[in-house]
Amino acid sequence: MATITITDLTVDFAVFGSRARSIKDTIMEQAAGGLVTAGSRDIVTVRALDRLNLQINDGDRIGLVGHNGSGKTTLLRVLAGIYKPVHGSARIDGSVGTILDPSAGIDFEATGLDNIYLRGAILGLRRKQVSRLIDGIAEFSELGEFLHLPMKTYSTGMIARLTFAMSTAIQNDILLIDEGIGAGDAAFQDKAQQRIEGLFSQTSIILLASHSEELLSRYCNRRITLSQGTLIGDEPITTHGQVV
Amino acid sequence: MTKIISAKHLAREAIEDLWKGFMRYEAWSLLALHDLRQKFRRSMLGPFWITVSMAILIGTLSLITTTLLDRDPFETLPYIAAGMIMWSLLVNCITDGSTTFIDQESYIRNIPLPISIHIFQMLMRNVIMWSFNMIVFICLLMIIRPPLSGNTFLFLLGLPLFLLNIGWIAFMAGILSTRFRDIPQVILSVIQVLFFLTPVFWSISDLPSRPAFVTYNPLYHLLEVVRAPLLGLRPPLTSWAVCLVMAFFGTIATIYLYRRAYARIAYWV
Repeated sequence: MATITITDLTVDFAVFGSRARSIKDTIMEQAAGGLVTAGSRDIVTVRALDRLNLQINDGDRIGLVGHNGSGKTTLLRVLAGIYKPVHGSARIDGSVGTILDPSAGIDFEATGLDNIYLRGAILGLRRKQVSRLIDGIAEFSELGEFLHLPMKTYSTGMIARLTFAMSTAIQNDILLIDEGIGAGDAAFQDKAQQRIEGLFSQTSIILLASHSEELLSRYCNRRITLSQGTLIGDEPITTHGQVV
Repeated sequence: MTKIISAKHLAREAIEDLWKGFMRYEAWSLLALHDLRQKFRRSMLGPFWITVSMAILIGTLSLITTTLLDRDPFETLPYIAAGMIMWSLLVNCITDGSTTFIDQESYIRNIPLPISIHIFQMLMRNVIMWSFNMIVFICLLMIIRPPLSGNTFLFLLGLPLFLLNIGWIAFMAGILSTRFRDIPQVILSVIQVLFFLTPVFWSISDLPSRPAFVTYNPLYHLLEVVRAPLLGLRPPLTSWAVCLVMAFFGTIATIYLYRRAYARIAYWV
């Protein structure tokens, strides 16, 4: 049983202006006793998540909504283990997979095949395990011989198809997705949707941050609304399963 | 599989991150090899360009010093080769190290991985490059045939000590540079000066007495524990001692710093 229990989760961001990162200013500030430059130190602390409490159970397909900067991506990054909280905790039972930025870690100078192996190594797969995935990815992405060419020669649609195929090739108990999921041209959409549904049906918990109502109503059964790092809404989505 | 994410055990997590990062050797070796393959893609000589440019550099420096100081080229060549090859490993690790986290921003912010993996990848990449440079030295040995002795085996002790030291320096530089963006620039300019202050292409035997900027130069001692064995000499005890003490305190200081910075690196990049 996969569950996520979030208790009083608080995340602070120090946002640096270019000045604050310079060592000169830090030293000057100490030398001046913090008096002279006190007002000019442009580190702004942003509270990205503020005492968030949330219980997520097996079977929850959560649509995370909220304005830009409301803390959706931050929450996903915390659950992925990338950002550390300053206060509170998140207890996660189950393996976590992420689709935060599908093109992160892609080397466009390298071939599609090389990129699959790199991604596999990053995910902790052995070379043999990756080799077994390759046929599936090649077939699904319809790239064929293009897999042996550098990714910079691909069209936008081809890149989208390959990153989508790679991101969805591995199953986890919990899946964190930022800014939607989907790929390529119209003809590919149906196929992509089938694959997403297949993957989702084998995933216990999904957190999908998105602005798209269509995606939410198609894939989610619970809507969590964040605003300025706090929870302002938690309601079921009843249209689950229907195509809008 | 239960994972608890909280602010409480960050110091312990930092230590675990070091170990987990190291244990992902398959990933960081592959990434390091990939870096090099990409760097030399479509070039005819490929990574042997590293070898060629090092050979040219060593040849030129040897020509200058033998002419200026009227030295025996057969002694000067291996000395400069060993010095330059080890020095370039040191410099590349420290300068690469200082920008490691900054360069890997997209990984750090989007892919859950042990953060230390990027340091291991960087060290591995530089060790592979170093092995291409060593080809020059091995060729020189075969041509010049200097007297090798049992001391050469001390290289097997010197190299790990050397790597441990440049490892922590690079790691520390990486952490500090991510927070303070001036540090990579500071390092670049300091390293340039240190190249002249350290007997890399000149030798202390050229001088009547050993100057203080050599005696108290940790990089000189660091270089000595690997260069002397390569030349069949025994590194002075002082150099071993300096390197051991540096490795001990440096590693502790770096781990301490990492424990404090670990939770912030993803925000700093």
